[in-house]
Amino acid sequence: MSEPREVKMVSVTIEGRTTVVPEGTNLIEAAKTVGVLIPHYCYHPGLPVAGVCRMCLVDVEKFPKLTPACATSVMDGQVVHVHTEKAREARKGVLEFLLINHPLDCPVCDQSGECELQDYTFQEGRATSRYEEPKRFNPVEDFGGDVMYVPNRCILCTRCVRFMGDVAEEPVLNVSERGDRAYIGKAEGHDLTHEWAGNVVDLCPVGALLSKDFLNKARAWELDRSATVCTGCSQGCNVTVETRDNTVVRLKPRSNTEVNHFYLCETGRLNYRWMNRRDRLDQPMVRVQGALREVDWEDALDAAAAALGNREVTVLASPNASNEALFLAERIIAKHGGQGVFRVERGGEAPLAGVPDLSLRAERAANGTGARLLGYTDLAEQRKPLQIGADSAVLVLDDLLEGDIPDAVQQLLAAGARLVHVGTTLPDAIAARVDVALPITNHTEEEGTFTNLRGRVQRFLQARTAPGLARPSWFVLGDLTERLGASDGFYTSAAVFDALAAAHESYNGLSYARLALRGLPVLDAEARGLTVEAIHA
Amino acid sequence: MTIRVKVLDRPIEEVSYIRSTLSGLATTFKHMIDPHKVTMQYPEERWDLSPRWRGTHRMLTTETGKAKCVACGLCPTVCPANCIKLVPGEDEEGNRYPLIFEIDEFRCIFCGYCQEVCPEEAIHLGRHYENAEFSREAFVYDLERLTAQMHPVSELWDPADPSGE
Repeated sequence: MSEPREVKMVSVTIEGRTTVVPEGTNLIEAAKTVGVLIPHYCYHPGLPVAGVCRMCLVDVEKFPKLTPACATSVMDGQVVHVHTEKAREARKGVLEFLLINHPLDCPVCDQSGECELQDYTFQEGRATSRYEEPKRFNPVEDFGGDVMYVPNRCILCTRCVRFMGDVAEEPVLNVSERGDRAYIGKAEGHDLTHEWAGNVVDLCPVGALLSKDFLNKARAWELDRSATVCTGCSQGCNVTVETRDNTVVRLKPRSNTEVNHFYLCETGRLNYRWMNRRDRLDQPMVRVQGALREVDWEDALDAAAAALGNREVTVLASPNASNEALFLAERIIAKHGGQGVFRVERGGEAPLAGVPDLSLRAERAANGTGARLLGYTDLAEQRKPLQIGADSAVLVLDDLLEGDIPDAVQQLLAAGARLVHVGTTLPDAIAARVDVALPITNHTEEEGTFTNLRGRVQRFLQARTAPGLARPSWFVLGDLTERLGASDGFYTSAAVFDALAAAHESYNGLSYARLALRGLPVLDAEARGLTVEAIHA
Repeated sequence: MTIRVKVLDRPIEEVSYIRSTLSGLATTFKHMIDPHKVTMQYPEERWDLSPRWRGTHRMLTTETGKAKCVACGLCPTVCPANCIKLVPGEDEEGNRYPLIFEIDEFRCIFCGYCQEVCPEEAIHLGRHYENAEFSREAFVYDLERLTAQMHPVSELWDPADPSGE
């Protein structure tokens, strides 16, 4: 890496508020630091500046005429006025032109409620239109992938064109034709099946580019939003999960310049249906005289503790379990002996060319790194066979057991090991064999943390309510470890994380309050070879 | 010991019922010949309702008989009683339409906001008040029932002078 350059700071006054920003910052970003939003369409912090929409015109003192805020860098002592008569009049004119061919079909448009054209028109546009001629009409076009293009609504800000060209580096989109006939065109024989192309839907400030998956599903104002982390791969992209009537309807990227900037890949974006699955385990069950019976939590936990008590425990964990759950299961191993293993699905990588260190990773689970840091071994990397004790038990922690049960676990079960299943579902593969089944919530229904492949610990929050009697994984395992004498019991997931931070060196000093919503790397990420620098070195 | 009540001795003309009975009958007989009547012979006779009367809803339809509603979601949003349930969907031509549109007339407070907010002039309140049912469930009007209503709709504003000037 190059030496950090000395950055000159300049002072600028925007709407009467003075701020100090690094030299080279544009006026839109400088205004954000003092809480002023300069209206803009074509500008986006992740894309090169185009200056085509003319919406961000502001009045700068000593400038002869209005200047676009996106393409003007701050200068020391500059005084900027956003809401002068002249600037407002100019932006009102821009809005009137944008609305000339706009169909005003807000009632049927999916962007309605989160549309910047709606917002700015409401804020400073004309109340009525003076345009009486017929409006231009172009038919809706399918852009491939998950993207649909409605040219009538397009304001030609070219954010999508610049994203595909400069960030995805696959210039599929362009502005075709000229003047009022202009529209977003697609290169002949290509479409938006690119892994990262779905981001053009988020970038589009109006309803011109829409997600086919979300089409007509819900209105923006009906959705409840909650911060979470994508479980599609080990990149750990920050995501907002949006629910309607307790059902997850879409995932949107949440900006975090340390991880995913503003973007989210198609795999992550469409990976939400399993969160709503109906065939959930929602009652604690215990095998009584050969048959599984629904029992209350106290009895189920006692039965689970009896099944695991003083036996060597093999934990088959899901790499999508939270750090908290993995830590508590590891406490049982630490107390009674045994081993922790996990398996993880793999797939192809799909990097986003224009952003460093952002890719759909091969490891298709959120917390493989966390599992490794907490002492679990990947079964694919396991060299020596699992130890099979005479009197052992198996604890399955939310491994969905789709496909085969791992051979080692199969052998343990054949040797008569007790089987406790702590999971969101009760897989058919072991339903006939399980001694105790404890229902837990999935990551949208509980709070916790994941550790991504760069060792960054990130929190996720609850977005929906738990089904039936299911409890958060840290709650269930906290009670179980308390019964087994492996912990003192916990009342919050934050307390579990504090215990984890105290017990594991990598996590020393981290807490929910410090992690906040953007996360922090584990302390020895560099030493463990997790960071980009460490990998290159 | 028995309790004794002191009974006042009152003049007979004050305690007799004959005089008041006769004056009551006089009123009754007077009304038999008086032409002014307030009782209406409902249901043979009915009130004329104001054009702004806000009664049970009606969903207007297009020429093809489909509901005009495009499932924009504004009426469930504006509804202060939270009585409208709307689930949007997509028809064969790719147009947005309501998969489920239900109004719970029991919860409804007949404020008329849904009619006022509707961008398609689809949902209307009606000049109608006879909505008795035999069960509570029957008060939840679904789309089919709302479109089948034939009563005149409420005019919340004068069509000749929509801004009320």
